This record gives sequence, structure tokens and C-alpha cells, in this order.
Amino acid sequence: MIKSAYIHIPFCKHICSYCDFCKFIYNKDWVNKYLDSLEYEIKKDYKNEVLNTVYIGGGTPSSLSCNELNKLFNICSIFKLNKEYEFTIEFNIEDISEDKLKICKENKINRISIGVQSFNKSYLSFLERNIKVNIKEKIELVKKYFSNINIDLIYALPNQSINDLEDDLNKYIELDIPHISCYSLIIEEHTKLNNMHFKPIDEDLDYEMYKLINKKLKNYNHYEISNYSKNGFESKHNLTYWNNEEYYGFGVGAASFINSTRFTNSKNMVNYMKKIYKKEKEELAIEDKISYELVLGFRKIKGISINEFKNKYGIDIETLYNIKDLLKDNKLVIKDGYIYINKEYLYVSNEILINFV
Amino acid sequence: MNQEKIRNFAIIAHIDHGKSTLADRILEITGAVSKRELKEQMLDSMELEQERGITIKMNAVRLNYKGYTFNLIDTPGHVDFSYEVSRSLAACEGALLLVDATQGIEAQTLANYYLALENDLEIIPVINKIDLPSADPERITAELMETFGFTKDEMIFVSAKTGQGVDELLDAIIDRIPAPTGSESGKLKALIFDSRFDSYRGVVVQVRVVDGVLKEKDIIRFMSTKSTYDVVELGFYSPKINQVKELHAGEVGYLCASIKTISDIKIGDTITVDSNPADDLLKGYMPMKSMVFSGMYPVETNEYDNLRDALEKLKLNDASLSFVPETSKALGFGFRCGFLGLLHMDIIKERIEREFNVEIILTSPSVVYQVYLTNGDMVEIDNPSNLPEPGRISKIEEPYIKTSIFVPTEFIGPIMELCENKRGTFVNMEYINKTRVNIHYELPLSEIMYDFFDKLKSVTKGYASFDYDYIGYRENKLVKLDILLNGEVVDALSIIVYKDFAYNIGKNLVNKLRKIIPRQLFEVPIQASIGSKVIARETISSLRKNVLAKCYGGDISRKKKLLEKQKEGKKRMKQIGSVEVPPDAFLEILSAKEQ
Repeated sequence: MIKSAYIHIPFCKHICSYCDFCKFIYNKDWVNKYLDSLEYEIKKDYKNEVLNTVYIGGGTPSSLSCNELNKLFNICSIFKLNKEYEFTIEFNIEDISEDKLKICKENKINRISIGVQSFNKSYLSFLERNIKVNIKEKIELVKKYFSNINIDLIYALPNQSINDLEDDLNKYIELDIPHISCYSLIIEEHTKLNNMHFKPIDEDLDYEMYKLINKKLKNYNHYEISNYSKNGFESKHNLTYWNNEEYYGFGVGAASFINSTRFTNSKNMVNYMKKIYKKEKEELAIEDKISYELVLGFRKIKGISINEFKNKYGIDIETLYNIKDLLKDNKLVIKDGYIYINKEYLYVSNEILINFV
Repeated sequence: MNQEKIRNFAIIAHIDHGKSTLADRILEITGAVSKRELKEQMLDSMELEQERGITIKMNAVRLNYKGYTFNLIDTPGHVDFSYEVSRSLAACEGALLLVDATQGIEAQTLANYYLALENDLEIIPVINKIDLPSADPERITAELMETFGFTKDEMIFVSAKTGQGVDELLDAIIDRIPAPTGSESGKLKALIFDSRFDSYRGVVVQVRVVDGVLKEKDIIRFMSTKSTYDVVELGFYSPKINQVKELHAGEVGYLCASIKTISDIKIGDTITVDSNPADDLLKGYMPMKSMVFSGMYPVETNEYDNLRDALEKLKLNDASLSFVPETSKALGFGFRCGFLGLLHMDIIKERIEREFNVEIILTSPSVVYQVYLTNGDMVEIDNPSNLPEPGRISKIEEPYIKTSIFVPTEFIGPIMELCENKRGTFVNMEYINKTRVNIHYELPLSEIMYDFFDKLKSVTKGYASFDYDYIGYRENKLVKLDILLNGEVVDALSIIVYKDFAYNIGKNLVNKLRKIIPRQLFEVPIQASIGSKVIARETISSLRKNVLAKCYGGDISRKKKLLEKQKEGKKRMKQIGSVEVPPDAFLEILSAKEQ
């Protein structure tokens, strides 16, 4: 039973130097056609399930005008939501306005995720996020309307020092936001940073930064590799992914997981606007599902419930792959009915996860 | 056939002086191959040969010109194969010494000249590429006169590319190269100068009949190996196959005798008739000897059988390749392979990877050391990890070469510096003309194994050419340098080095390995040691970061692909103890030997 939906809004006012996601410069004509096609896609595929979470991501969903936002929410009103639902939209700090927040509030949004990334002007300009507004004031404004808020932080930027990061972290903590996502910068192919030949920072420093984050955010619950929250504020939508549960994905380039098959929509915008939805398909056999279950589940600090795994697949998780050896080597640990990656190896977890692909 | 009307000759030249192009032009002008049929450089048939512009396996072609029969015998163009060159020259009465009009005499011009001279050949000096604007035929003529004592009248000027002068050259072949003079009525003596394997006919042997007549259905004997065979087929290439019943004194052709493997054939051996054998072998026969040895291991251990098959198949066509099974603690099961030289090694490696699709690890190539033990015995060591305990060794000798390095005089300084750094002993220097010299050094063979050629090129801006001869064994202070990974000796990384260089090499080596070996989940010390004494140490810090960051909008397939890619990368790694080592590390050892 599908309980989640992701909606992709690929438009941005400006392209950030590190972004390799499916995005286009905002264009009024396109937005209009895009939303029409989005509506068509949703109506075609959505089977009226009662959803637990909806997540509008981007791109920059908040780049849409108030009218366009209204149109988007009108499309979303088709979704049936359960009582405990979580409905998130991503906001760029510059787009935050009383008007837009009100529209969100009126349209069942109950969680806002804000791409702050840093307070440091020079790093923001390096990321090509030239912000002219006062971040703190904008966040305070959001807090007036919403209590469930996430802010993103990017670290491990070229030339960044550990002190720079600590400054940022202090400011983040001061904002007293219930959820913080911290991402170490990846210089992906097909990004401006890569084209400019920037290299990742030294991995020892990167690791020091990770340790600093864990130390500074000790009042938060570190529940997933890159995510920290106050109790009860974990991102339910992202947990859908980590729990290997099925979800819809609507919009250009969006990924979905339906009927044991993972789909990725084409990134061709022109086709999408013409309502041509080409998808890449990966049908999952039971072994593939198990592989995903492990790769995703071990992202969670708490790990995978041994009982739930057995109920879902009828197999003892310890008998799979070389999990016994990994337990013996202390790379995996079992405690309170859960199996998880030893905290010491969390930041090198790929070395463990490759055993499961 | 009337021997008076036969001319057997080869073209000898330094690499890139246009040997194959001239051969093509001769084939075309004599009508053996039409222009349309003429694939560029007809005689180089192997893909690798065409790619590298060198001839590895030889061909002999029979041509008709003005009532004469020409046998054009191709020769390999690299120092690794000089024995084969000398045997194919022994099948000829004459040689065309081809020199590039823009370059002049180079190292292999000289080496080949002397090989031809040793075989008493009539040598026709041919100056090629006269169509090029930068050609300087007068200067090259003077050079050839001065160096070899040719007269001005002997020079023939051609452009193999355009065909200019080639007719004149063909006439000179008739006029100047002597006809064969063997006795047709004598006992059969035929020289084997090449062989190749054909999956339908077995080994096809290229022969030059010196005396007597070789006939179909003869029972023949190979005089050095004493094995006998029935002649099943005789013939020659034109370059198409032409079968004949007999090959007479003076003629060149091929024979098939249901010979199963090429190792049964020795290049330079003499064929005679079993029932009426000749008294002695033709002179110049030498058994093949490998000069360079290296361990060859499959990257993936389950490819062992495929690697063996590949080596066996290559061996079918290459008698100079040798291999025996070998086990390494670090690398598992593999083979110790012997090669004629580094180029030969390179070619074999590439063919295995390309034609047989087996990814391999080659360990650092080693020469053969002669190790004299305290009990008076001598053992030959081609694998450094087999070197006996120092206490049992009284002395170690290593093979030496004498170089011919041709350079413009302004590079004498850099060349001498290079050779001195390689433990060279200066012998002498000959002036080819006022601006070019031939520098002779004696060097340990092991010192030219890695980047000597590259260094030579770079210090001389590409103006040097290089050739060498083996001159025997010399005693030196040599020690075994071991590499320890995580405290354990990695046998496949051991090398034998000159004692005074050991400290620097050890330092370079651990430094290099630190850079090549990726970080592991734990700290890995790398040490270089001589016996129990550690002379250098580095540490690979433990891996700190390898994690999937954000999963944008649930695009999870992509992250899994990334993990799969990482896993593929790991598969290529060789597990040594608990350390994962990339296959390249084993050859990188070589570059660390540089100071």
C-alpha cells in the first residue's frame, strides 16, 4: 500500500554551483504547462490511497508565484491524507514571505524545509546563493506559521576551516529549529563546481567536521547519517525511503517505487510538458528488495528491526550475505532487537554496504 | 630453378625509416600485389604490429622481376628480437640498408649493419624519404661513406612512398646481390629462420634451402633437436600461398610436417634428410634464452585456467615465450614468464588482455642473477623472493649490456650523466661525423629495465637512438629489498637492488605505495626492509569518509548504482593479507627504482 508521494518542481530563479539535480530556470510559460502536465500525471497514476506523507521538492518550489502555488496546491488537493499526515514543501530563504507562508498554511502544508546551507557570506557566494535578506528574520517569520521546520547545512566546502563550521553550527543551534540536515559537499559531475575543477576537501578534515557536528548537535537525535531532529520531528517522508517502502514520484526526473518496481521519470522537460512520461524501470526481485532494504535501512542510526525484517521477508537477517562476519568484526552491532552499523564505521558505511549489492 | 636467377635479400633499417613502406612498394612494382589489394604495409599482419609500426613476426615473399626470382625476407625491427633478425639475414645473400634522409644513421642502422656483415651479406645502401622537404641526402651520403666506407656511386636514392628510385633499386638488387651458391646435388641443409602456428596445418616453418633439395614426403630431421617428421606440404608465399613439390638449393619457402607445437622448432636449426643426413649444422645456431622474467597472475583468481590457456595459445606462435607455474603468497597461483626483453613482455601482456580478455598483474621484471653459494654451488635466480639467505651467499653476479647510443654531440653530457646514475662504466665514444657520436657504456641490464628509454628520449629531446648487446655477468653488491604491508612481507613486491641504492629505492617505494594503495578501514604501515632491518616506513591513514550523502527526492536507484560501481572497483583489488592493493602497484615498483 503506497503511503507517500513526492512532487518535483524543477524551477529555480538561480542555479546553485553544486546542484546536479533536475532543474530549469524559472519561466512563467513553462510553469503553467508543467503544472498542467503534473496534474495529468497525478490523476493518471494516483489510486486514491490515503497518504501518510507528501513532499514537494525541487528545484525550488518556493520560486513559484502565489498564483502558481495556489494552482499547485489545488492539484495536490486530490490526495487523501490521514490524520497524522506530514506535508512538506521546500523553501528558498529569499522566497519566504508572509503571503506564500499563508498560502501554504491554508493548503495543509505542515512542514517547511529551508535551504539555508550556511550563514557565511563567502561560502554562500561560492555556492552561488547570494542572499540579500536576513536569514534569522526570515526563519522567525516561518516560525510564526509553522513549528515543524528543517534547515539544511552544507559543510566541507573548499577552504572551509573547522572554526568556520563551528560558527555556522552555533548560529543554527541558536535558531532553535527542530530538524537539521547536514550534508558534506559532493562535487558531482555536470555541476559548475566540477567544471571549475574544484576538488573535495581532505577527508581527514571532512571527518573532523562530521565529528564536530555530532558533538555540537548533541541535543538533537541523530537518527540518520545526515539528519538530526528533536524528538518527534524526524522526517516521516524520508523515513519512507529508508524503510524501503513504496512511494509515488510525480514530475520531471522524479523517482518512484510502485509494485516492487523502481521508476525514474525522464528528465526531458519538453516531453514532460507534452505529457510524454518516459520512465526508466528497475523491477525488483526478492533479492533486490532485500539488497535495497539493507542499503537503505542501515542509513538509520537505529538500524533495522530484526523481527520486522523476518516478518517482511521470512528470513533471518543474520544469515544473509556476510552479515555474520561483519557482526564478528564489530562492523555491525545487534542491540535491543535492532541490527545497525557500528557508529565508528558510520561515516565509511559504503565499505559495509557494498557487501549487500 | 636456376640459382643464377635467384636473389635473396632483406631490408634492414632503424625503426620508422620506412622499411614496411619500401616492402609494399616493391610488392606493388613487381606486380605481386595490385595497388588495390595493397593494404597499407602488407607484411605487418598482426594488429599489434600495425599499431606499433613494428614487425614482430616475419614473412618471406617470393617475387618475379625481369626474369629473376626475388625472395624478400622481412625482419623484426627491435633489439629484443636481434637473434631472429640475424637468422633471417643468414637466409639471404644481400641486404638493403635503408636510412631515412631526414634522420641519418641511428642505433639500429648500425646494429643491423653489423648483423648483416657477420652474415657476409652484400649490403646496398638506400637513402629513403628523399621526397621530404627536410631530406638531406648529401649529408646522409657523407655519413654512410664515413661510417661504413661505402662509395658515393653505391648509394641509391628512393622515396618508398612515391616509388621514386625503386626501379633503379630493383635493378641494383639483380646486379649487385650475388646469386646463391649452394650445391643442389649435396646433402640437404635447410635453415629454419621463422615459424608460425596455423590451427589447420600445425607449425608452418619458413626455410632457406642452402644445399640439396627438400621434397614433399621426405622424412626430415631437425639436427639440433634430432626429431624427425614427414614433409606434408611445401610451398612459398607470393604473398598468396603457392604449393610446390620441391624446394631447391637457393630457394626460400615454407614447409608443413604435422608439427604440433612451435616449441618443437628451433629458429636457426638445420633441416636435413633423415636417411642421408648432412654432416654438420649450419653455423650460427643458438638456443633461445629469456633475458627478462616476471610473475604473471590473474587479477581474479578464478581466471587462472584462462590465463594458462592464453599463455599456451601464445606459446604456439612464439617460441621465445617461456612460462612455468609459480605460487606467490601474496598473489596466489600464477606463472613465472620469461621474455626476450621488455618490449616482448609488453606485447605479451597486451595480447593476453586484449585477445584473451584476462586481466593480469605483472610483477616487477627481473633479470637472471647468478648466485654463488658458500658451498660452491651456483644457482640462477629469476625471482627475487627466491634469493637464498644472505649467510649462504658468497657472491651475486648480474647480467651486463654494452650500449650503442647515437646522439648529437650536444647531448653527450646528459647521456653520460644518465648512464653514470645507472651504474654505467664508460667504454668509449665514436664520432660518426662532426655532430654525432656513438657512446658506449657498460650497464647492468637491470638498470635499463624501466624508464631508461624514456629518460634517454627526454634528456636528448628525442634525438637519441639506442641499441645494446649482452656482454655477460659481473659481480656486484646486491641485496634483496622486501616490502612489508601491515607487518607482512609481500613476496611479489621483493626486488634485488644495488646495495648503495637500496636506501633511496626503499624510501621511494614506500612513498609510492602509500600513494597508490587506497586508504583502508584501518591504518596500514608500509615498510621497506633488508633482512630484518627496516630502512623506510610510511603509513596509510585509515579511511575516514565513504558515505552516501543525500538521496535527492528518493532517487535511490542512482545511489545503488554508485555502490555497485564501488564494488566493481574493489573486485579489481588484490587482497593481500587484510590489505586491498590495486593491480598496478606491482609494476609501480619499477618506477620507484628511479633515483
